[in-house]
Amino acid sequence: MARKIAFKTLGCRLNQYETDSVTSDFINAGYEIVNFSEEADAYVVNTCTVTNMSDHKSRQTYNQVYRRNPDAVLVVTGCMANNHKEDLESNNRITYTIKNDRKGSIFNLLDSHFKGEIISPDQLKADRFGFGAAEKSIRTRSMIKIQDGCNNFCTFCIVPHVRGRAESRPYSEIEKNIKHALEFGYKEIVLTGVNIGRYERDGLNFEDIVGKVLEIPGYFRVRISSIEPEGFGDKLFNLFQNPKLTPHLHLCLQSGSEKILLAMRRQYSVDDFRIMVSKILNRIPDFNFTTDIMVGFPGETESEFRETCKVAEEIGFSHIHTFKYSVRKGTRAERMPNQVQEKVKTERSLIIRDIAENNKKKYRSSFIGKTQKVLVEKIDKTGFAKGYGEHYFPVRFKADELTQTKDFKLVRVNGLLDDQDFTVTAKPV
Amino acid sequence: MEVTINTIFTVQGVRHLTDSTYIVRLDRKGMMFVPGQNLNIGLAGDPEKRDYSIYSSLEDNFLDILVKEVDDGLVSKKLKKLKPGDSIEVDGPFGFFTIKDEDISTKKFLFIASGTGIGPFHSIALSYPELNYKLIHGVRNRNETYEKDHYPAGCYIGCLSKDKKGEFRGRVTDYLRQNPVDPDTLCYLCGNVNMIYDAFDILKEQGVPSGNLHAEVYF
Ligand SMILES: Cc1cc2nc3c(=O)[nH]c(=O)nc-3n(C[C@H](O)[C@H](O)[C@H](O)COP(=O)(O)OP(=O)(O)OC[C@H]3O[C@@H](n4cnc5c(N)ncnc54)[C@H](O)[C@@H]3O)c2cc1C
Ligand code: SF4
Repeated sequence: MARKIAFKTLGCRLNQYETDSVTSDFINAGYEIVNFSEEADAYVVNTCTVTNMSDHKSRQTYNQVYRRNPDAVLVVTGCMANNHKEDLESNNRITYTIKNDRKGSIFNLLDSHFKGEIISPDQLKADRFGFGAAEKSIRTRSMIKIQDGCNNFCTFCIVPHVRGRAESRPYSEIEKNIKHALEFGYKEIVLTGVNIGRYERDGLNFEDIVGKVLEIPGYFRVRISSIEPEGFGDKLFNLFQNPKLTPHLHLCLQSGSEKILLAMRRQYSVDDFRIMVSKILNRIPDFNFTTDIMVGFPGETESEFRETCKVAEEIGFSHIHTFKYSVRKGTRAERMPNQVQEKVKTERSLIIRDIAENNKKKYRSSFIGKTQKVLVEKIDKTGFAKGYGEHYFPVRFKADELTQTKDFKLVRVNGLLDDQDFTVTAKPV
Repeated sequence: MEVTINTIFTVQGVRHLTDSTYIVRLDRKGMMFVPGQNLNIGLAGDPEKRDYSIYSSLEDNFLDILVKEVDDGLVSKKLKKLKPGDSIEVDGPFGFFTIKDEDISTKKFLFIASGTGIGPFHSIALSYPELNYKLIHGVRNRNETYEKDHYPAGCYIGCLSKDKKGEFRGRVTDYLRQNPVDPDTLCYLCGNVNMIYDAFDILKEQGVPSGNLHAEVYF
């Protein structure tokens, strides 16, 4: 009988991409992938350490697994394995602690383990790009890792410490990965990494890479995942006029206060951000901007927070991922005075949440009567299909004769559901 | 560019410019960098590390950093006690506070520094002698106008807030208000966040577009 493996991913898309790729290694070798709540021979927890909350959730996840199934092999990987390696290695509930650069070898480690050969994680090959395209059955869109690490050292951020220094993947490997994904039948490619705007390799920058990826023949579209507002300009904005590149960016603002941005050591000003947005909107007026906002950065005053609210309303981000600042050991912000009270952070994040909801409703309503090319993710038992249009918001429509998922369907938007997410409703065209 | 990680460098010496400010000289070990970049430095084996801008020029076969000892500071106090032959751990170079090759001979630059924020400008000015620039340096007293004779005549303007014997009496922000900046100038600001923030406001009021403003915040 096939061995069973279960995966749990916390944190960012890059982590998800890496889990998908490792999962594919197991599928291809005949292992059975089961839900994380089910009984398995091995559990792999791909952790996150970006906030206190992520540490807490990661710990909770592997402790729960151990309590439920103490005999199973427990692998803990991801950013927590980099940030708290010694703690995890001394925890005898955890069988293997695997740092990010060896994550791509988890299949070799576990496969050998089940064959009776115990490999020390340090013997595994370190390769931050040792990940293949995900097997088709796993996702609707294929993430492609083009870059890892970050040298920006924003003062609040632990990522450069846990993901390491910036490194870009050679274009030939990116292209190979994408062609593989297209062969698997993927219709949407998501370019991902830690700080992809800073891609730099063999004389190519991020804009060059996007341009080259768009030239790869095939019926597919390209999405840019989360990106810092730096390292690109008009060349990228012009590429958005190519219908193959989806009109959506998750452009991380973090704060709308110039002073806080300086203290965060971000590489742009609020004005730079506004200019970028307006340049894109001049080309594509219904472009979808989503963002990350951090509230309660040390020293953030009420009026600086209000500046952020103002920018969030003015730009109209249709989705805002709000973070409450939390101290990360070893970062510069850890040593900053005027840490903001937890209660104030919570109040501020609720205010941002309200703004985000209003923005979302307004933005999505503006699509009523317009078409969306939906990449169908699933068709539920009640006969409704769900997926994301090119602008990247969820769309639901009656499937009728449609039976196939993971392909495009052109629909016309006719309303919004009153659910939490303001899901857009539509009719096939 | 190759980035050095946890590499041991040897200290050549420490030169004291004032009671609290000093220059640490290290072997360069062939390190490539772009003037304006910084290194992450700590004593060998000590997990506490801090960022310091490279002060020396591209031509030098050593690496200098200009450090101010901070009251109650952890690392700046330790670095002050380094002796020739001591080992320190270096990561880097890092940072984007650099100037573009194509701007070197075509653009006009304004460098604005507070305290040891002059570090990257020293490296830039000495590495690109043909550069058309003015350096405005905000400090309290004349003894903090670190090595001002290294800059060509007329390029360095010390703004002394507590001393009459300088090129300008007052803060850099006072200087900027009294000497409006041509909006085509590329402005680079380095040092304390409050100074940078206030100067940004003045420069923007004077019509300098945000694309021409670059900042490196020390604290
Ligand atoms: C990119 C970058 C480059 C830097 N380059 C230099 C450099 O070339 N020379 C240099 O001296 N410093 C530089 N710094 C600051 C340096 O990294 C340390 O913060 C500084 O030396 C204090 O470290 P510490 O461990 O002694 O004090 P800590 O124990 O870290 O902090 C003590 C307090 O001192 C304050 N502080 C930090 N720097 C200063 C300062 N220069 N003057 C007054 N108060 C300060 C901080 O707000 C902090 O609250 C740079 C910082 C950055 C981010
Ligand atoms: S750009 Fe800043 S926030 Fe983003 S990963 Fe790098 S250091 Fe962290």
